[in-house]
Amino acid sequence: MRRIALFTVLFLSVHQLLLNAQDVKIFDRTVQFHGFASQGFVYTDQNNWMTMNTSSGSAAMTDMGANASVAITDKLRIGAQVYDRNLGQLGQWHPTLDWAYADYRFTDWLGIRGGKVKTVSGLYNDTQDMDFLHPFALLPQGVYPTVIREVTIAHKGGDIYGHISLGGKNGSLQYTAFAGERDDSKYGGYFYLEQTPPPVLILNSLSALQYGGDLRWNTPVAGLLVGVSRFSEDNQGDGIFNAGGGFMPFTQTSKADWNNQFYGQYIHNKFELDAEYKRSWLDELLYSGAEEVQTNAKAWYVAGSYRVFKWMQVGSYYSSLNVNSPVGPAGPSSGYTHDKDLTVRFDANRYLNFKVEGHFMDGVGLPGVYPGGFFSINNPNGLKPNTNALIVKTNFNF
Amino acid sequence: MRPPKPLELLIGTLLLAGTAAGQGVKLIANSSIQIDTISISDLKSVYLEEKISLPGSGHVEPVLAKTGPAHEAFLRQILGRSDSDLQLYYRSLAFTGRGSIPKTLDSDDAVIAYVAKTRGAIGYVSMATRAEGVRTLDLGTSASHGDRKLITRVEPDYPETLRQHGIGGTVRMQIVIASSGSVRQVEMRGGNPALGEAAVAAVKLWKYAPGSSETETEVSISFDPGH
Repeated sequence: MRRIALFTVLFLSVHQLLLNAQDVKIFDRTVQFHGFASQGFVYTDQNNWMTMNTSSGSAAMTDMGANASVAITDKLRIGAQVYDRNLGQLGQWHPTLDWAYADYRFTDWLGIRGGKVKTVSGLYNDTQDMDFLHPFALLPQGVYPTVIREVTIAHKGGDIYGHISLGGKNGSLQYTAFAGERDDSKYGGYFYLEQTPPPVLILNSLSALQYGGDLRWNTPVAGLLVGVSRFSEDNQGDGIFNAGGGFMPFTQTSKADWNNQFYGQYIHNKFELDAEYKRSWLDELLYSGAEEVQTNAKAWYVAGSYRVFKWMQVGSYYSSLNVNSPVGPAGPSSGYTHDKDLTVRFDANRYLNFKVEGHFMDGVGLPGVYPGGFFSINNPNGLKPNTNALIVKTNFNF
Repeated sequence: MRPPKPLELLIGTLLLAGTAAGQGVKLIANSSIQIDTISISDLKSVYLEEKISLPGSGHVEPVLAKTGPAHEAFLRQILGRSDSDLQLYYRSLAFTGRGSIPKTLDSDDAVIAYVAKTRGAIGYVSMATRAEGVRTLDLGTSASHGDRKLITRVEPDYPETLRQHGIGGTVRMQIVIASSGSVRQVEMRGGNPALGEAAVAAVKLWKYAPGSSETETEVSISFDPGH
């Protein structure tokens, strides 16, 4: 009830803001204000999903954000966005700074931005926390796992980026190179995952230097874009664990931690086709170096959408995740998730939309290692091999 | 001039229908923009906020129309996106801090007024709209003009009957520039066939700076019945 009241208040507030203006003149500069709020309901016929009690139906799927930005000069832009979410056991209404940075663009082909920066990787890494930007309520979870998105979504550091025209017949290139510190949250999926017994593990801190880049080519074929991303990190964490004989110090260090992503996108008027492939490799030393764990994940998806009417868009995707690791829990854990999605999106206007989405999943990924949304701790009676899910979600943004 | 191919005739006929209904697009820019021609790819990059400047002109700011035939034609012919998709694209910029949602105005008059007073602004209005106080841009391949400098530009003879009936639009042509600088070959690629003959005849008289080899490029000429 409290959540519904909060959502209602926020909805009315942002609607009032919308009725006024998104652009406000301050000291002869135009400041743009934008915001959004989303509320979802999820029901699954089998396993609990995304740390929610979805087998009974759950509305613990709320997120919201607000930002302000201003062009100080033609080349210098600053802005920030605050973000808050409650997704089952994650987020728990602890607001975070989603991004906050200064962006200076020397020329079309060279710009820099510094601060807390959304990480450009693949088609949607930087926008995966804002579902209203996509036809789907949930992006393909193999490539964009919602429950651990904090790991990759932003970095505290800087980017070098630019746009290079290759001449009339060759299209153009866009590049981004980044480096910075990982920005995890104690209310994020990675910390939640680490608490999953056995053994009981409590992380005190987790930090990582992240670096990589993205290169995308707007090809001469109108609407066709192809690209490649590389994302690496050196992570270090410490805490305590209890394997049954009392708590002991815990450390973790990555020997190798990277992913490569290849993608393509074709847009033609009302039609859009996306495809991505991501290969992730993680080699970690755990328990103060006593155990080395290697995790090899391969994920891909193909997604299509078509805007039938101005107010209605239909979409579908097939998403595949395969994970190999020697520490996968015993039982029905399959090491894979194959997800077939069907979505209908209704746009009441530019600001308000509703989505109805069905997921037909085979497999539960590898809980405890690389969660695609299923955690053993949320399914005390054991995980079932198949899960069908219904998501109803609405969003207001301005 | 070779006769138009069936596909070109079909495209031309469709554009003619659009133009007759006032659906042609006129590109306009603030007087600070120091170019006469902009390529489709550059224009698209400006509107997708990939480019922030134009050669010799400095800062550039795209301006959108909220609705209307010019907006629909611009989306279809230049950006290749639906309005909904474009709005989502701008929101993805605004909500990641990588850009802003461009100024969006309700009418052609409002677009012209804003572009006229705003340094670096570039916009579009219906072809039949009188655009005063702003620069009118042609659609072409600016890169090619950089490679082969246009020395002599001959304006086309606008067929009076078409002008009187308010029929205008943009004719796109693929041309081959000889190493001597003369236009050796012209092929119509799009636009109203009724205007194509005049456009092709004019372009054949253009003279470019001599080059080391032949250059193939795309150019366009706009016919504005309001002028």
